[in-house]
Amino acid sequence: MSVETATFAVSWVSEQSTGTRALQKQQQLNRFLAEVERRALRIAEIAVRDRDEALDLVQDAMIKLARKYADKDDGEWPPLFYRILQNGIRDWHRRQAVRNRVMVWFGRGNTDDEYDPVASAPDPIGRAPEQELSNDEAMQSLEVAVHALPARQREAFMLRTFEGLDVAGTAVAMGCSEGSVKTHYSRAIHSLRDTLGDYDE
Amino acid sequence: MSKSNDKFADKAKSLFDDSVDSLDASTLSTLNQGRHRALEALNTGPSPLWRWAPAAGVTAAVLVAVLVTLEEPQVVDTMPESVADMEILLGEDSIEMLEDLEFYAFIDMLEQDGDVT
Repeated sequence: MSVETATFAVSWVSEQSTGTRALQKQQQLNRFLAEVERRALRIAEIAVRDRDEALDLVQDAMIKLARKYADKDDGEWPPLFYRILQNGIRDWHRRQAVRNRVMVWFGRGNTDDEYDPVASAPDPIGRAPEQELSNDEAMQSLEVAVHALPARQREAFMLRTFEGLDVAGTAVAMGCSEGSVKTHYSRAIHSLRDTLGDYDE
Repeated sequence: MSKSNDKFADKAKSLFDDSVDSLDASTLSTLNQGRHRALEALNTGPSPLWRWAPAAGVTAAVLVAVLVTLEEPQVVDTMPESVADMEILLGEDSIEMLEDLEFYAFIDMLEQDGDVT
């Protein structure tokens, strides 16, 4: 075998290996996003109270994760993904605040796009009507109460309870210390219990 | 206290999971499309904004060069005016004229009286 042939063979094998790794990474990312996207959507929806806006936020977060952090270990993806999503949600709230100030300046409120819990209630799937109604009502009450929490408490509660991130992962996602996560989560759950009761009454 | 907190969290999680399972087909389809766009972005590499960075740098450099070039003639144009002003102020004739102001005023007065032919 000539030197040129050997060099070509090594180069070809290297390219094949790189291509295989890229494909594996793409498949891993696809699995991760498919697994997390629906919960992420509901978390974003509870935070911004608008499904279309939530869909945009989740899609942006998925694209940013793919562009910036695809080469990270897949174990690091959940907190990174939720950090991107939470930053997107915070930016959305800032833009809304500015928009509302501008609307007030021009004498227009935002009454036309207020959240309609009936319109945005999830579609029913295979449950007894009474149970379905009861759960839907309970979820709507929970959504309202969670949305009413201060932003950091809301983030801590949703990431810990709904997404199931541990304290360390939640701290990465929120960009704060683990101690802060514990404080925010504790305050959130006490506030929610005060508002909603314990569900067993 | 912690046990009741856990119980509350479990119930909240259960309600949340039900709402996730109840997402409609249209929403799931939109999510699926968004995921595939993200996977396409994986192949395109860094953000398009960063891809424009070199072009933006060149554009900024050209802009600065154009501004500097346009600024220079103004400086050049103002210099002769200043020099001309100084020449007028410092020219010998002008100083002589200033010294003979009384004489010129006298001539002017004669012209008005008609004494000068």
